[in-house]
Amino acid sequence: MNGVMSASLLVTALGLPLVLAFPALHRRLPWPVHLALLPAVALVFIPVNFWIELPWFQLGAGLGLNAQSRWWLAISVMVWALVATFLFTADRRDGYPPQTSLVLLSMTGQLGAVLAIDMVSFFAFTTLMGYACVGLLLADADATTRRAGRVYLVLLIGADILLLEAMLMAATITDNLGFATLAYTISLSNSADLYLSLVVVGFALKVGLWPLHLWLPLAYATARPATALLLWIGPVATGLLGVVRWLPLGQMAAPIPGILLLAIGTVTIFYVVLFGVMRAQRTPLPAYVVIIVTANFVIGLGACLIDPILWNRYGESAPIFMFIAGLGVAIMMVNFQCSNANDKRSRPKPVDRTALKMERGFNAFIAWGRRTGMDTLPRFRALWLAKWDGLWQKRIWQSVFDSGEYFLQRWSFAVTLFLLLFIVTLALLLLDAASVQ
Amino acid sequence: MNWSTALPLLVLASSLLPGLMIFFLAEERVITRTTLNLAGALLKIVLVGAMFWGILHGQHFETRLPLLPGLDLVLRAGPLSMLFVTLSAGLWLLTTVYAVGYLEDSPYRSRFFGFFSLCVTASVGVALAGNLITFVLFYELLSLCTYPLIVHRGTEVARKAGRSYLAYTLCGGALLLLSTVWLYTLAGTLEFTERGFLSGLDASVHPQLMFIFALLIAALGVKAALIPLHGWLPQAMVAPAPVSALLHAVAVVKAGAFGIVRVVYDVYGIEFATSLGLTLPLAILAAATIIYGSLRALFQDELKRRLAFSTVSQVSYIVLGIALASPLAAIGGLLHLVHQGVQKITLFLCAGNFAETLGIHKISEMNGVGRRMPWTMSAFTIGALGMIGAPPLAGFFSKWYLGLGALDADQAWVIWILATSSVLNAAYFLPILYLAWFKKPPASWPAERSFGNKETAWTLLVPPVVTAIMTVVLGLLASAPFGLLEWVRLIVIRGYAQ
Amino acid sequence: MELMLGDVPWIVMLIILPLMGGMACFLFPAISTALGLLTSLTIFTCVAGLSWQLQDAGAQRYAMGGWGAPLGIDLYADGLSLLMLVMTALVGLGISVYSSRYFSRDKANHFWPLWLFLWAALNALFLSADIFNLYVTLELLGLAAVALVALAGGAQALTSAMRYLLVSLLGSLFYLLGVALLYHSFGSLDIAILAQRVEPSPAVWVAVGLISTGLLLKTALFPLHFWLPPAHASAPAPVSALMSALVVKASFYILLRMWLEIFPIVGASFAQLLGLLGAAAVLWGGIQALRQTRLKLLIAYSTVSQLGYLFLAFPLGTSLAWQGALYMLLSHAMAKAALFMAAGNIQAVAGHDRIAELDPITQHLPLTLTAFSLAGISIMGLPPSGGFIAKWLLLQASIQSGQWWWAIILILGGLLAAAYVFKVIGHVFTHDQPMSEAKEVPATMEWTALVLALIAVLLGLFTSWPLAMMEIGSPFGGGYSG
Repeated sequence: MNGVMSASLLVTALGLPLVLAFPALHRRLPWPVHLALLPAVALVFIPVNFWIELPWFQLGAGLGLNAQSRWWLAISVMVWALVATFLFTADRRDGYPPQTSLVLLSMTGQLGAVLAIDMVSFFAFTTLMGYACVGLLLADADATTRRAGRVYLVLLIGADILLLEAMLMAATITDNLGFATLAYTISLSNSADLYLSLVVVGFALKVGLWPLHLWLPLAYATARPATALLLWIGPVATGLLGVVRWLPLGQMAAPIPGILLLAIGTVTIFYVVLFGVMRAQRTPLPAYVVIIVTANFVIGLGACLIDPILWNRYGESAPIFMFIAGLGVAIMMVNFQCSNANDKRSRPKPVDRTALKMERGFNAFIAWGRRTGMDTLPRFRALWLAKWDGLWQKRIWQSVFDSGEYFLQRWSFAVTLFLLLFIVTLALLLLDAASVQ
Repeated sequence: MNWSTALPLLVLASSLLPGLMIFFLAEERVITRTTLNLAGALLKIVLVGAMFWGILHGQHFETRLPLLPGLDLVLRAGPLSMLFVTLSAGLWLLTTVYAVGYLEDSPYRSRFFGFFSLCVTASVGVALAGNLITFVLFYELLSLCTYPLIVHRGTEVARKAGRSYLAYTLCGGALLLLSTVWLYTLAGTLEFTERGFLSGLDASVHPQLMFIFALLIAALGVKAALIPLHGWLPQAMVAPAPVSALLHAVAVVKAGAFGIVRVVYDVYGIEFATSLGLTLPLAILAAATIIYGSLRALFQDELKRRLAFSTVSQVSYIVLGIALASPLAAIGGLLHLVHQGVQKITLFLCAGNFAETLGIHKISEMNGVGRRMPWTMSAFTIGALGMIGAPPLAGFFSKWYLGLGALDADQAWVIWILATSSVLNAAYFLPILYLAWFKKPPASWPAERSFGNKETAWTLLVPPVVTAIMTVVLGLLASAPFGLLEWVRLIVIRGYAQ
Repeated sequence: MELMLGDVPWIVMLIILPLMGGMACFLFPAISTALGLLTSLTIFTCVAGLSWQLQDAGAQRYAMGGWGAPLGIDLYADGLSLLMLVMTALVGLGISVYSSRYFSRDKANHFWPLWLFLWAALNALFLSADIFNLYVTLELLGLAAVALVALAGGAQALTSAMRYLLVSLLGSLFYLLGVALLYHSFGSLDIAILAQRVEPSPAVWVAVGLISTGLLLKTALFPLHFWLPPAHASAPAPVSALMSALVVKASFYILLRMWLEIFPIVGASFAQLLGLLGAAAVLWGGIQALRQTRLKLLIAYSTVSQLGYLFLAFPLGTSLAWQGALYMLLSHAMAKAALFMAAGNIQAVAGHDRIAELDPITQHLPLTLTAFSLAGISIMGLPPSGGFIAKWLLLQASIQSGQWWWAIILILGGLLAAAYVFKVIGHVFTHDQPMSEAKEVPATMEWTALVLALIAVLLGLFTSWPLAMMEIGSPFGGGYSG
């Protein structure tokens, strides 16, 4: 009974927000986002660790809860509750119905990612969440946020491809992609280094580390607190969860990726401190705080990669670190929201031209493509069609055929040909006879 | 003639006879025509189901009709045939429903539906062919029956597209005939055998066999839209939407890809073909087509042309999967045969909906379409995401297996091709989704037709939604016990020596 | 009953019946149509009876008046003759039915006697067993055909008929010279006896040259095809049909017979020349057909092209190649007759046969255009049709014998045929408005075209019977083998 109830709770935790994402449904319910959160809340408080496996689902999926993921789930639930509250306290904009649906979809994705116990489901859920977040960014009224959305979309696509390759590599090494055994099996294989690099770079693209962190300040500059929180719990935090799960921490020493992580984290902190704080504008501040937190986490991970023993000692504290960091971010957001509500200041727009340059390049490429021709080039057409359409050739051949028939129809010509044929035939026959004898 | 010899013929007849009868109906007999159409489609599904049932219980279905002394016309139901037949039969039903709604009040409907049914007959014949001569027969019939559908509207553009189509496919057909006769002279038989019937031939004819392989790929590549023989496909988009949907998702393009599968697996045999060094050039050609098609798709503003180039690109996944000498890649290729069919038909049916309901033909006109036609746009979104390869939709799994197969066959460059193609797919599909969902709709659509407070006619709406649901289901239930994956594994295993 | 059927001299009846029918039509013009149809039906049954007899008892030889060779006239029926007779009967029946509604009263009075007379000449030609008889029937055939071509009246018809007459006489003259030389050398006119006695000698070479050239002129092989298109363009549709389908095949039949029986001593170069000329005919005829603006001229040049295929069998020489050529002959006859009948229907409705202006009338003639398309499929050599089977056999023969260049010609010819057939069919799919007042065409005419086209297509599916029929009496047994 317990097993059935826990399994159904797991499924409902993911199914309810997915179902409620339909506009028809959630418009009729009060507080739909909070409703959708309820099963997940229940899950946090169930004392037992358990999991369910569905081998026929996708390539063999599993969902489950253990001590580590409980902390992640707790902070997720809390942040989502805040998001839900802020969603409805902000000034209502009826022109964007997709917002609630997108929020619910990213919630499904994020919760699913926390609950996933194998690579494929994790990947699937993070994809769902990622694209839903992108959708939220792109639907915003502000041009800056939309730009942030576009930048993040490109990063997301690149990251997904790298992670897909990493998954493929893992699949060639082992059949079972569950996280429980993944770390161990990866550490045993020969191509672990390539795998590690792919994972590190892939996730680095997602979580906003230098030098690809620009979308975060852009998004935070003019976003509402709800979106800001969502962006943290979604791409950033779950991205970090992914790194923790996908890397074979504690099983093997990988000095080079570890040093890479250390380096990126440190540089990020320096960069942020130098440029961000120096600008001394209040609005991007939460973004930079978030980036610093991420960078700290990444430094910790880097150290663990260099020396696995560190992980074995301090690994369990990673989720607790995220929990506390999440609390901090949440408090900061709430503060921010209240202070903004009291103090209606016009927000200066940060000037940022990087995204525009990229886009200009892309548009120019498309325009060039369109100019060089929509139709298939003539040389790809069927040969005889091409010959037939060539006007110059047509004239020559036409006259050849016309005159041919004309001459053939003249009696003199025809009779001459006839006699000629007779003579040729005779000649051939005699030649044959001669050669036989 | 008992049940097991008659059933393949009955499957063919279930669309041939209604088609021939529809030719003689007057234009106004709408109900009779629709009934004949739907009855034929449903009957075909029932018969295919019966065939399935029989095969599961160990029956063999084969029809043999003597054609020439020493050559028979053979219709045989094997696992690969059943894959394609089921796809054809299922998607035909949906497209027929759609076509009935799409062509309401158009002229020459009897002619259209007559040729439509003949087209499906030819397609099923291609699927069930048991030797190369039967394949050639139905392949040519397919070319002939699709021409009237392409030129149906009779405009100058349509006729030009039809001429181009004929030029390409008839030349391909001529090459196919030549290669078949040549093979028959060399090998004495044309029956499709597991692992091919050419491996036993003397080594002195191997150069000839290599040349024949090139001819066969050129001939089949015309329909399968391999570069540089793909030129007819974007031009043929001028046909009505149900024609584009059926032809380019199921019948014509898949027949070409299916032919290539047959040639590599059942005529040459994958191991023999690899030993002759034929598979690597084929893989390279397929990879080039994938990239080229995606690039051209990026440059198009017309929706149907973009989808056409997307087809050019995606069908080569199938060829790529076959050409890599690995069972996993072959599984990916065959899975993609089904998945691409279902996804592409969704996209085309939705494009037809946009054209029919709102007069939209270009992507730049599609701002805010998602508000006006949410169900259609959702189906489009699912189809597009499946094409990009987003999990958990169907397209992801075919690309997964292709990637695994590439690694298995030590051809890691293929992974780069797959990755680049996914990026390009995202680059040309995601802007459409963005425009449709997030931009403000214009004040008025180019040519709006009102359907009351419904989004569009239900005959136009239900088919794409059904195929979108199928995309999702195929993805979610990929590893299910009686699912597609098991079936495809079964097909591929037979191609390799144990 | 069986005994009786076996005893009836079907061979003789096949010659006598059309002659009598022709005379009756001449004597009783009022009921000529009915008489003509009746005769056609009876001829058809006679052919059926003969085929039954041949399948039962093998090749048949009949001595006219009890006087056998070498003094008397023998009639000989084996598989090859039977094939030609069946082809004539089927196409002839179709033409009769078509003409019963096509011609007006006064034209019909002239048509029926001439047509039945021509049919009698054809039957006699296919059944003749000696070379002088062949000359006689060939001449009669030519004269009847000329008269039929001139039937339409008008300056152009008369000019082309005159030209055809001169060509026909020239060809027959050369043939007669050849026959005279052979008779002088070997003392007999009977084919079977000549086959035994013939030996290489200068006189024989000259005779072979004379006979072949004369027959090639009459079969309109490139470059001697110049008389064919004008004759077709100005003749009435059923006359064009019977000329393309039957008359040119008669001289080909004679050439084939001579080749198989009397000319096996001929070396390979002449065969290659014939093949070369056939290939040129295929390409030239195809390209010319593509360039035509009038429908009947297009179909006439298509005949020139298809006849070229028949000559490809000569350099190949294996029995597979002969089978292919004969299958091509048979399906071409059906398809070409259907095409001309369709053209006749179109001309009857539209008053002209210009291809570019076909758009408005195509909607009035669905059956006719279906017949055109089906016949076109056979001409193109696409499955399923008799043309495809013939193409397959010829391709197989050419690849087997290693002379793969003929295969290229076959493929190219097929593509050219597709080009000119679809040039016409493309006009069916138009969004022009159909012509509002259009003349009605009798249903019989449309259905005859459709039935003949269907036979051409069905020949592609039911191949065993024609192929078996060809082998009766093994005419290719002692054939030239490469």
